[in-house]
Amino acid sequence: MSAPAHSRSASTPSTPHAGHKGGLPSVYAKLIMAATGAIFAIFVLVHMIGNLKIYMGAEAFNSYAHWLRMAFYPVLPYEGLLWIMRVVLSVCLVAHVYCALLLRRRGATARGRWKRRGLGLDVFAARTMMVTGVVLLLFIVFHILDLTLGMSPAGPDGFQHATHEASYAYSNLVASFNRLPVALFYILAMGCLALHLAHGVVSAVVDFGVGVRPRVFSALAGLGLLFGLVIAIGNITIPVAVLTGVLQ
Amino acid sequence: MKLTIEVWRQEDTTTKGRFVTYQVDDATPEMSLPELLDRLNDQLVTAGEEPIAFDTDCREGICGTCGITVNGVPHGKVPNTPTCRQNLRSYDDGEHLKLEPFRAASFPVVRDLVVDRSALDRVIASGGYVSVDAGTAPDADTRQIPFKVAEQALDFSACIGCGACIAACPNGAAHLFAGALLSHMSTLPQGKPERSKRARGVVATTEEEFGPCSVYAECVEVCPAGIPISAISAVNREAARAAIRRNKDN
Ligand code: FES
Repeated sequence: MSAPAHSRSASTPSTPHAGHKGGLPSVYAKLIMAATGAIFAIFVLVHMIGNLKIYMGAEAFNSYAHWLRMAFYPVLPYEGLLWIMRVVLSVCLVAHVYCALLLRRRGATARGRWKRRGLGLDVFAARTMMVTGVVLLLFIVFHILDLTLGMSPAGPDGFQHATHEASYAYSNLVASFNRLPVALFYILAMGCLALHLAHGVVSAVVDFGVGVRPRVFSALAGLGLLFGLVIAIGNITIPVAVLTGVLQ
Repeated sequence: MKLTIEVWRQEDTTTKGRFVTYQVDDATPEMSLPELLDRLNDQLVTAGEEPIAFDTDCREGICGTCGITVNGVPHGKVPNTPTCRQNLRSYDDGEHLKLEPFRAASFPVVRDLVVDRSALDRVIASGGYVSVDAGTAPDADTRQIPFKVAEQALDFSACIGCGACIAACPNGAAHLFAGALLSHMSTLPQGKPERSKRARGVVATTEEEFGPCSVYAECVEVCPAGIPISAISAVNREAARAAIRRNKDN
């Protein structure tokens, strides 16, 4: 016996339109997220490599920090390169967060009342994008207050601002990480960054419309995780080195 | 086999539904899930109760009507297999089964396990066809399509429109469905003259009816037609291509 015949005529279901009408199309929102995310990914990679310069000693690290301010002078004004990066990254951040919230809301609406539960570990990074994203956002704010602006209580005691002649990035960094909670928050944020990148890389490649075969897709997921871990571990060594007294 | 079955019962779209627990004592391992529901309905009719409404037609994985959610997974435990081809042998004697309709805001419940999947039809109506006059059957060799291209188009055209990808998606997105449609039609010469126009229509309707894709890739685990993951990137690709081509149809 199969389904009773009266089930269809009992009521004409309303046409739901669970998506959205008008506004920024989700496909464009995803392309914006992929493009801005890719810029962040390149930025954190370069930032991490720059950070590792700390192992070459105070002088080398300070002169690198100083060079960042003086780069391309006088073609660019003092701190020109830094300001270009600050503006680009800020615009990217606003766009990335705006699109994330928009897509999140649309996804929740289209899913409806009955959420998908009990998904495996393979989608852990994907499902926690919002959580890791919020931690990263808080971290960015703190990180700027701490080591860019040196504003207490975020910044360490005795923070020295850079001058046109010299930078004190080394002593500022060591002073900051000598505070255990700051070092721990940094490590937590880097863990979140690894997870965020693990899914972000995969998502960006697909959003850019690259048709990957199933095998390549799995490889890509591994690659994303590896990329995230390399950046996170590279950075995490620094507070660990400060806390263990390797960097003083 | 003795099974405890929790089934979603709902009068119609507007009324509230609830789970009702039943017991089936004479299930056999070779029974499919629809056959289990048949058995349960026999029991219910004999007892003078209202049988459970559920969709099935071909019962061989072709028509795509039978999809239900089993223990939280669209279609059931076995990956890439439609509900009608899921057998009880993948469950243990005495196991507890929870049967619900496909869950997504775009699939309102019609009754019990039956959902309205007309949102998928609206996507197809907005571009999932070739509108040039096909005429009489052409001579076999007038249009030469390389074997690999034909195979690729066939892989994407395998979609049976069951809606499991949407039910599996935490965002209720239909990118696997829409991407399969766009991929197969843009691969073949017959579909090329309207490639951009189709992409505009299909993507716009998909946005109206379903959620955005976050690349969870849950869809490819349940798809009974084995549509590959590359389908989902086709949605963004075809949308971007159509946007660049402005007012062109192809
Ligand atoms: S009944 Fe046709 S696919 Fe299951």
